[in-house]
This record gives sequence, structure tokens and C-alpha cells, in this order.
Amino acid sequence: MFKHKQLFVLVALLLVAFIVVGCGGKSAEKSGEQTAAGDAIKIGFLGDLTGDTASYGKNTLEGMKMAAEKLNAAGGVLGKKVEIVEADHRYDKAEAANIVQKFINEDKVSAIVGDPTTGITKATAPISNGAGVVQLSAGSTGPDVVEIGPYIFRNTLLDSVGGPATMDYIINDLGWKKVALITSVNNDFSVGLSKIFKDAILANGGEIVVEESVQDGDTDFSGQVSNIKAKNPDVIVFSGYYTEGGLIMKEVRKQGMQDIVMVGGDGLQSPTFWELGGQAVEGSISYCGFSPEQPTDETAKFIEEFKAKYNKDPDLFDAQGYDAVNIIAAAMEKAKSADPKVFRDALAQTKDFPGVSGVTTFRENREPIKSPVYLLQVKDQKWSLLKKVPVKMD
Amino acid sequence: MLSNFFVQLMNGIALGSTYALIALGYTMVYGIILLINFAHGEIFMSGAFVGLILVTVFHVHIIIAFLGAMLFCMIMGVIIEKIAYKPLRRSTRLAALISAIGVSIFLSNLANLIFGANPTSYPPTKEILFPVKSFELFAGAQVTNLQILIIATSAILMIILQYFIKNTRIGKAMRATSQDYDTAALMGINVNKIISYTFAIGSSLAAAGGVLVGIYFGVVKYNMGTLVGLKAFTAAVLGGIGSIPGAMFGGIALGIGEMFAVAIGLSSYRDAIAFGILIIVLLVKPTGLFGTEIQKKV
Repeated sequence: MFKHKQLFVLVALLLVAFIVVGCGGKSAEKSGEQTAAGDAIKIGFLGDLTGDTASYGKNTLEGMKMAAEKLNAAGGVLGKKVEIVEADHRYDKAEAANIVQKFINEDKVSAIVGDPTTGITKATAPISNGAGVVQLSAGSTGPDVVEIGPYIFRNTLLDSVGGPATMDYIINDLGWKKVALITSVNNDFSVGLSKIFKDAILANGGEIVVEESVQDGDTDFSGQVSNIKAKNPDVIVFSGYYTEGGLIMKEVRKQGMQDIVMVGGDGLQSPTFWELGGQAVEGSISYCGFSPEQPTDETAKFIEEFKAKYNKDPDLFDAQGYDAVNIIAAAMEKAKSADPKVFRDALAQTKDFPGVSGVTTFRENREPIKSPVYLLQVKDQKWSLLKKVPVKMD
Repeated sequence: MLSNFFVQLMNGIALGSTYALIALGYTMVYGIILLINFAHGEIFMSGAFVGLILVTVFHVHIIIAFLGAMLFCMIMGVIIEKIAYKPLRRSTRLAALISAIGVSIFLSNLANLIFGANPTSYPPTKEILFPVKSFELFAGAQVTNLQILIIATSAILMIILQYFIKNTRIGKAMRATSQDYDTAALMGINVNKIISYTFAIGSSLAAAGGVLVGIYFGVVKYNMGTLVGLKAFTAAVLGGIGSIPGAMFGGIALGIGEMFAVAIGLSSYRDAIAFGILIIVLLVKPTGLFGTEIQKKV
């Protein structure tokens, strides 16, 4: 009896194994054919469409789709259509890793654009790098991203460039020397940016009178704000995202600090910032690499076309998503191949690419240098230009 | 230093009184049917959203919205009990607990579908209530009118509840049922009705907590019930689950404890500290601070 059972299990296992192997073989063959037939160049969009960082993801995707449409209208890349494959990871690292696996193994993408956040990019980049697929993050600004490997790129104004420029301005030009620094400790981007802010504040002769930590997803900031109020700082520097930023400022006003403003990174760049914060975020300052309110010769056409297509102003993420697809397309044209193992080298040699989010050059370590830095300020519930700071190439 | 101590104390009491309102629902339901109603946090979330919709879509006054949310969740609580718990009343306690977790997941996903994953903002306090102002009670000790409102509203609701439980016929029947379910039924108490009342009252208090949290912190989100629900549950256990004064005390103690963790610079550990308090209480006094001896119920 027992023996029978064991035999049965063994046979069943063997059967399952055959089925799996059979299927695997078949699907590999099938997708092999697809690549060979090559009716389209696939670029994966890795981002968040419904979660906490949805406003970054949605806008990046809009920009990417617009770039693909324009490329296709002009005859495509290497004579093939560009197709954007999209997925939604809901700001969940595990889900994002699954999506990247799917992009590489099922969709056979040539490149992945995303994620706009540092945290998700760092969680997924080792997968793409290991598989030899180019991953270009249009947005991640924190440290230790491109160091993951030769296939990992990013195109955005780096915190190590924008952060110090902003601190220099608020301390030396505005004279805000007593700083309250807030970090969101479960957010890689915020932790990295706080370090940069801290060094820059001290280097510019500022003083950190109080340091507080919050977490992404918190809604109660009354304790931290009371601590800050007790130290009476000139300015609140927050390195996290727009949701917490808006809520912190609301609490700041509630506790009676009426004039102090928040200064942060491009993590504050979302309309949600003032949708949640309302009047409390008026006057808040942030830096970024793109400002729709201040069209230049290079960006005016893009802004106009974007408005015609989506009926709204493009933001930084729209512009970066748009540039990301174009930078990849340019590298493919130059290398005459959509194989990531081939066009990677051309991508790494990108120099003075005239994008709408600034002029991009990749350094040897694949870090972008972008110029200029825009300092923006919330006025009447939207960003307006405060100052344009050119970046020195070193 | 002393002024910051007082300010943080007020922050803690305001936060804690919302925990207390929610903790009451856990403790009352547990007292009667020995069920930890894990869907209770989601009822709190629903209350917050109903209040928001009444204010922003139907443009009613915030007080009407507050009462409307309580009424809505009262009905919702009773329906949940009828659908998800009543059929399981004679099965194992684990079955009802799993059913409660199922309801919790269902409600939070439903809210995600309806309202999306982005946080939604409550209208500014000055538009729906009054402009927020700080008062100085004594040298440097400040409290905002909003905090006073939150604390006062919670206190009034808890006093009404205490009166209801102690002095009305239904309240007496509730206490009788919680002491001995079967004997109460033999004495002619309609136990089903009492259970419905318990869910109705507990849920409406959670809804009140939801609207207050919406006004106080200015933001609501589909998953806001999960963590707050756990904290309120902790508060209920801290005070002694089944004990109504225990839930009130537990909530406020937890709020103050959490806020002092933030005050001394341990804000990253505030949740750890909240749940750490729970573990210590369970180790030292498993019945909670106000809990009576565990009685074996047959």
C-alpha cells in the first residue's frame, strides 16, 4: 500500500516535471521567434500608477508614451516601432522585482525606464544588470544607484548637485542659518538626501538646531513639530516626499508657526504637496531640473505639444520620462542595434544630449551631469521660478 | 523644556483620545462575544471617509457629517455582525477571528478601489470649523483649540457611554451578557439584540474617532485603519480587554507614551515603543491594567 503511494507520487512528480519542461521549451522558442521577427522595440516602464508615489510614475509614463509616439511618427527607431510595455508596482519593492523579471523573461524588453524613485531602483537594478538589460532610472537621485553595475543608468538632476546649490542659496542669499532638518527614515531617498543637506548646511556656515525623523505613511507629526517649534529655527529642511511634506507644513501652521517655510528636494514636486498642505505650503522651496513655468528655447516646443496632448502642464517627471526614451533611442540608432549588450556602450558615451529636462552628459561612472538647476517656490498653489543656477562641470 | 513637555503631553492626550474611542469598540465586542473584531479598524476608516464625503460632496455642516458618519457605521457594524460573525457564533473562536480578518481585508480593498491609493485631504479646519489657534495656558505651555475640541468630544462621548452602560436597561443587559452569556439568555435577555447594540455603539464610536482623526491630521487613506486599529487594540489590551474604563485609560496612556518617544528623539521607534508597552504589560500583568481575573467561560 505504502509502496504504491510512493510510486504514484513519483510518477506524478515526473509528469509535472515533463509538463513544466515542455512548456518552458515551447515558450522560449516562441519568444525567440518574436525577437527574431522583431516587429517592435520594447521598452519597459517600471513605476507606480496607484500607490504612494503614483504621481511620479503616471507622469513618467505620459512622457515616455509621448516620446514613443513622436519617434514612431518619424519612422521609429532602426526602422522598427517603439512599444512601451507598462506595469504598476504600487510602490511595493517585491512587486517591482516581479515586474522586472517579467519584463526581461516574458516581454524581452531592450531597456527598462524606471523606477523614478531611488528605493525601487536600487531594489530592481541588480536583476536587470544581472540579465544584461539596460535600466535607465528617470528620477532616482539618491546615492549608490549606478554603482550597481554597467547596465544601470540614470538621467536626472542629482541630489549631490541640486542639494548643495539649494542650501547655499537659502543660507547665504536668504540668510536662514538656523535649520530644522527632517528625514523620513524608511525612505532611502530621504536618508541619502539628508546626508547631502547636512554636509552642505555645515559647509555654508549654517547650523542644524534640531533634527527630527518621520516615516513615509505617517499622518501624525504633532510631536516632531512641537520639538521643532521649541527650537525656533529659521527654516524647515525636509528631504522626503510630497505627502509627508504637505502634512508636516499643515501641522506647523496648526501649532502657530505662521511664517516659516519648507525647503526640500524634488521629492516635493507634486501637486499633491499643495492639495494636502493648502495654504501651509505657500512659499516652500524645492529644486529640480525642469520648470514648465519658465520655457526656454529647447523646452517651449515640448511644453506646447504636451499641453495639446494631455491638456495640462508637463512636470519634471513628464520631461524626464520623455528624455529617457529619446536618450535610449539615440543610443540604439548610434549603435545600430536594439540589443542592450550592444547599445549599452553607445548609451554610456552620451554627451551633451539636448533634452527637455536639461543638457545631459554621462560621466564615466554613468552618473549624469545636468545643467541648469532650477530653484522653485510655491506661489498661488503652483511652482514658480525663484532662481536658475548653472552647474559647473568638474 | 517644561513647556515642550506640556505641549507633547497635550499632543499625546489628543492622539490617545482617538485611540481610546476606537479601543472601546474592541473591548465592548470582546466583553460580550469574546471576539477580537479585526474589522474594527476598517470601520474607523469608513467613518473617516463617510464624514469626508458628507462634507465635500453633500456640503453639510461638519457636526451633521460627524453624526452622519456615526449613524452610517452603526448600521455597517450591525450588518457586518449579522453577515460575518452571527453564523459562526457556535463554531470555534478561531473561525470568527478569521472571518473578522477577512472582513478587514475586504473593506480596506474596497476603499482602495473606490477612493484610490493616494491620501485624500480633509478640507482645511478653518473652512469647516474654525481657524486653528494656539492658547497659552501658562508660561510656554500651549494647546490649540483643535486639540481641546478633539479631547472634549472624545470625553463627552465616553461619559455618555459610561452613563448608558451603567444606568440604562440595555446597558445593564449588556453587562449581564458580558458576565455570562447563557445565563443572561435564560433570564430573558434577547442576546442577539444586545450583540447588535454592542456592535452599533462600538462602530459609531470608531466612526467618531475617524472623523476626529480626519479633522485633526487633515488626511484620510484607505489603509489608515490597519495601524490605528492595531494601536487601539493594543490600547484595549493595555487597559484590560473587556474593561471599558481600561480602554479609555489604555488609549490615552498609549498616545502619551508614543508622543514622549517622539519628544525625546525616538520618533523612528514610536510604533516599536507602542507595541513594546503591550508586551511588557502582557508579561507583568496579563489581564491588563484594569482587567479582572480571567474567568473561564464555558
